[in-house]
Amino acid sequence: MKTTTRTTTSMSTNTTFREPAYVDYKDVELIKRSLNEQGKILPRRITNVSAKFQRQLTTAVKRARHLALIPFVSDSIM
Amino acid sequence: MATIQNTYELTYIVNSVISDEQVKDLVARVTAYVSEAGGEIIEVAEWGQRRLSFPIQKKRNGYYVNMYFRSSGVMIPRLERSLEIDDNVLRYLTLRMDSKMIRHYEESKTRQAISYAGMPVHHENDDEDDD
Repeated sequence: MKTTTRTTTSMSTNTTFREPAYVDYKDVELIKRSLNEQGKILPRRITNVSAKFQRQLTTAVKRARHLALIPFVSDSIM
Repeated sequence: MATIQNTYELTYIVNSVISDEQVKDLVARVTAYVSEAGGEIIEVAEWGQRRLSFPIQKKRNGYYVNMYFRSSGVMIPRLERSLEIDDNVLRYLTLRMDSKMIRHYEESKTRQAISYAGMPVHHENDDEDDD
């Protein structure tokens, strides 16, 4: 098989997580898991996903932000 | 000369302060624009009114429209320009879909069809779909 689906423990949570082939910016539920409470993208160190997947996530997050599906900044301390 | 046809995905946010008819009119206009320019509409999915994560042009809500079409690339800048000019379009995002995105789109369609039919979704099938 050409495409391998990588299974990792944790994408911010400790559950088993299978990386989909394509990260859809419309899939807010998935994207939100890769953000912290402030709405920042979590580092790969924390998400524990492959580099390829992390890059796709980053793009998807930026697209979702542009369309106001997720905030640029949340919980901002005034 | 045959022009290369690509599949595109366009999502845009319409100002929901305007009346329903105006929204409907705008959506129809965009769709007509694409098909008149030689595009082949695959799907127009209106998500309806949603709360924006942050205010855009002082609006807190927006009417989301998500559409898919096949067309040549030359019309995209013109389409985007018309969306840019229209004051009632708050945001838009055009993406050229590669094979991976098309596959993802088709998969989500079939999954949707299955769930609409009231049948359980078989996630196991996802493992075998790689070619």
